[in-house]
Amino acid sequence: MRLLARLHRIDRRWLYVATLVLMLVPFILPLTLPAGHVARTTRAAFELIDSCPPDKVVIIDSSWDAGSQAENRAQLEAVVAHLCRRRIKFVVTSLGVTALGPDFARDIIRPLAERAGYEYGRDWVQLGFVQGVAGALGPLIDRFCRDLWGLYPRDVHNTPVEELPLMQAVRRGADAHAFCCFTYAPAYEWISFANAQYGLRLVFGCMTIMCPAYYPYIDSGQLAGMLVGNVGAAEYEALNGVAGRGTRLGVPAAFGNCAIIIAAVLGNIGLWAERRGRRAAA
Amino acid sequence: MRKTVVRVVTLLGGLFFVLEFMLPAELRRPGAEQPYFTNPLSPWLNLATDLVIVLGTMAFLLGPINLVRSHLGNLFRGQRGAVESAVFLLFLVLGLGLAGLKEFPDLKRGLGLAAADSALQSGYNLLFYGLINAFGATSMALLAFYLVSAAYRSFRFQSLEAGVMMITAVVVLLGLVPLGTFLTGWLPTEFQLPTWAAWIFAVPNSAVQRAVVIGAFAGAFAAGLRLWLGVGQKTE
Repeated sequence: MRLLARLHRIDRRWLYVATLVLMLVPFILPLTLPAGHVARTTRAAFELIDSCPPDKVVIIDSSWDAGSQAENRAQLEAVVAHLCRRRIKFVVTSLGVTALGPDFARDIIRPLAERAGYEYGRDWVQLGFVQGVAGALGPLIDRFCRDLWGLYPRDVHNTPVEELPLMQAVRRGADAHAFCCFTYAPAYEWISFANAQYGLRLVFGCMTIMCPAYYPYIDSGQLAGMLVGNVGAAEYEALNGVAGRGTRLGVPAAFGNCAIIIAAVLGNIGLWAERRGRRAAA
Repeated sequence: MRKTVVRVVTLLGGLFFVLEFMLPAELRRPGAEQPYFTNPLSPWLNLATDLVIVLGTMAFLLGPINLVRSHLGNLFRGQRGAVESAVFLLFLVLGLGLAGLKEFPDLKRGLGLAAADSALQSGYNLLFYGLINAFGATSMALLAFYLVSAAYRSFRFQSLEAGVMMITAVVVLLGLVPLGTFLTGWLPTEFQLPTWAAWIFAVPNSAVQRAVVIGAFAGAFAAGLRLWLGVGQKTE
């Protein structure tokens, strides 16, 4: 009992070491876990993008950087791989969240697009970053939906958008078949402006810890689909038939979640043993 | 006087967006080709959006400007933390310089640095991939350790409510990763952990989120209204 009671007083540095060791295991040993279950939010996102007609484009807002790349990167990779496989044309923006967004997005998208034989300007376009005001993206999103050319007069290579063949089909953001936003926590204004006023069908890719906030919008139909962290990316990859980063990172994520559960269990056993010991002593 | 100007600009700005949204785009009588009313504010909407972008950019610059002022003061006064201030200023200049030269080739040519293209690109890559990327990912990854520590210290089965919360957390934590399928994949779908996790998100979580969002947005609306109308603020 005394030994169990000591579990209540583990130095947190030991917990840090144990977490580090546990998280390193899947990177050292080639472990795999089954990804049989596909959430309805992921399936809805996949089906929406998959149903894009040839004359339409999908717009991707890639507004993440190093902080959330652990999950947003796999989501972006999974969706772009799907777009390339289905020969769907796409436009990439980075609206109002992080100025580093375009650089991170380019590093993912360019190799995938080149491998698929996509030609820049004809099959895909990257428009870059537009500065917004934190917490007040509404006016920008409204402009995005009704006047994309006005919001983005030039692409990341400084080419006027009217000279890019693909942009002839997308004068307004609302012209797109679907809009995917990959960021830590997509702004609610996408729902209230882009979907409610312009009818743009939305897919969000967010960090796992932020996903609970968006479920009511899935139920109301204002959000067409959602990729929840790496799991969402892995499920999307399973639907697309390509195992990528999301599938690979599912195992370390499982180990990380296990570390949290084990820590909580140890803490509770220690607390229980200590109380029992105190009662016995009294 | 300054606060009055801010209040008037806030009021007019808010009024513009509200009226532009509320007024119909156009009104026409049945059979008439020409509308008898068109929203007079809509043509100004693009200008208003441009102003938002400009304001956002100015606000974005305020951070670095304040930091530079503060760290320069630190450095010249030789106060505690002067070394850290020097490091900050060095990397700010390096970052601005390398990113500026990358984005503006004319500037590079003007400064006679066109020949050093590969060296500049290497410097930019070192800053971007070697530092920003690594630091950003590291600071976020540290959360995993804090989460484990917090779970150990605070996640206590001390009451029925805490127990329900703990069981829910375990189901969600396992159901959201492939381990949930691995552990319960042999059971019928209704009893698998991912199905339970999905139910928790879709039903109890959605109900709570709706309540929270309705309350939060009602509060935000009230706060926005007070800010817009300048209610409850001191004039000077």
